[in-house]
Amino acid sequence: MASEDEEFTMLFQDFYPSLCRFLECLLGGRAPLAQDLAQESFLQLHRTAWGTLPDGEARFWLYRVARNMAINEFRKSNTRYRLFDRVVEAMRPRARNPEQEYETQERQTLVLEMLQTLPEDQRTALLLREQEQLSYREIGQVLNISESKVKVDIFRARAALRERWSKRVKTVGASAS
Amino acid sequence: MNCIFTEKVSSLIDGELSQTETREVERHLMSCVECQEMRADFLSLRTRITNFETSLQPTVQNRALKKILATQRRAPALGFQWSFGKAVAFASLLIIAAISGFVVYQGSKSTQTGSSVAVNTPTPVPSSTVQQHQRPQADASPAPKKENEETTQPRQTPSAPKRKIVREPRPGEQFAAIPEPPARPADARPADARPADAETMTAMHFEKSETLLRSFRNFRLNEAGSATEVSYERTRAQQLVYQNMMLRREADARGDVQVASLLETLEPILLDISNLPDKPDTDAVRVIRERVERKNIVALLKVNSIALARANDD
Repeated sequence: MASEDEEFTMLFQDFYPSLCRFLECLLGGRAPLAQDLAQESFLQLHRTAWGTLPDGEARFWLYRVARNMAINEFRKSNTRYRLFDRVVEAMRPRARNPEQEYETQERQTLVLEMLQTLPEDQRTALLLREQEQLSYREIGQVLNISESKVKVDIFRARAALRERWSKRVKTVGASAS
Repeated sequence: MNCIFTEKVSSLIDGELSQTETREVERHLMSCVECQEMRADFLSLRTRITNFETSLQPTVQNRALKKILATQRRAPALGFQWSFGKAVAFASLLIIAAISGFVVYQGSKSTQTGSSVAVNTPTPVPSSTVQQHQRPQADASPAPKKENEETTQPRQTPSAPKRKIVREPRPGEQFAAIPEPPARPADARPADARPADAETMTAMHFEKSETLLRSFRNFRLNEAGSATEVSYERTRAQQLVYQNMMLRREADARGDVQVASLLETLEPILLDISNLPDKPDTDAVRVIRERVERKNIVALLKVNSIALARANDD
């Protein structure tokens, strides 16, 4: 039991932060909610599936469950960004100097805004590829879709983001001049 | 996006093309400016998305882990079912024993040729027997309640086969439920709490990073100019980068300069490894290796992880 707990702890420490980041990006920066959902996913894994999954499957299982929970959240509160989340985010302790913090915040907000313009399936596929380094086959496994759909989704997501990014750069350039 | 290769550029940077296709697209890239720009933009997008930092704090992570592990300890509502089942089984046995006793008595009575005194005497016997046997049944009903109130208390050594009779656990639940209550005395908690401790996490992180860097430093490079397989190291580095960021932030916040600066040195190296392509050029790997050597980071990680582990033991 102890060693199983240790194994679970190791898995948790390896993947909890990245699962939080994935959910945070998926949910448009709602960090507290992302952390709750990540915790809930691990809780479900611990209660029901831990020990029954084949080796190496736990990670995919977690992302699948977490994504489903995120979709449920979209349905529940489609565009509502809870005030509480914003307050918690604003109160979050920060160690860097304010200037650096501001720059990072700006950069992060921009990434989130851009990601939010994508359809959910494209966004998820792209995040799993770029942040989690999953192969197309693995992404297909998580999302229960074919590899060719993964390929197309990722390409479309990139192409759309590229276009929006260049438009934004042009807009910022024009307003600066 | 008029070029027919655009979609393949996307697959190329993901390392999802066959060798033949890769060569074909790379050849095409040498002559197509549009695809070159697209690849550069896609890679820039990748950097932006990869560099997104989660706002997760180590304390939140620790709390979440503790909560999950604790939930499992509390989990079995089986406690009630168990003792209830046991009580029912026990009461049933007593009732059966009473009934069979009564039947045996009746049988012996019918064969008896004794006086009416002999006939009258047994009357209270079964009734008292029944009463006696009913008492445990009546006693048994509060027992489950008690057990139910104290679901975390260790139960009286139920045997495994009986457990199956009471309730067939769902897949996965068996694992969670069986060893729990007896295997969790109060004094076992500190051991479970240890991994969640910030210093332990840092020590573990140093250890993992050290292992990764050793592996990265020691694997055999292919001849110059050819590709090297580093997918394992890259994935590990990718996982460690996030934790590194969090731990650095935490160390900064609590003013632990030594740990913070070591994590700060480690971070760009982890980032570089995690941003390597699937099959990087040997030279790219060599450059990172040289940096690792120059900074003497493997030895520093070793020393610090041992120091932290000792501090935790004290």
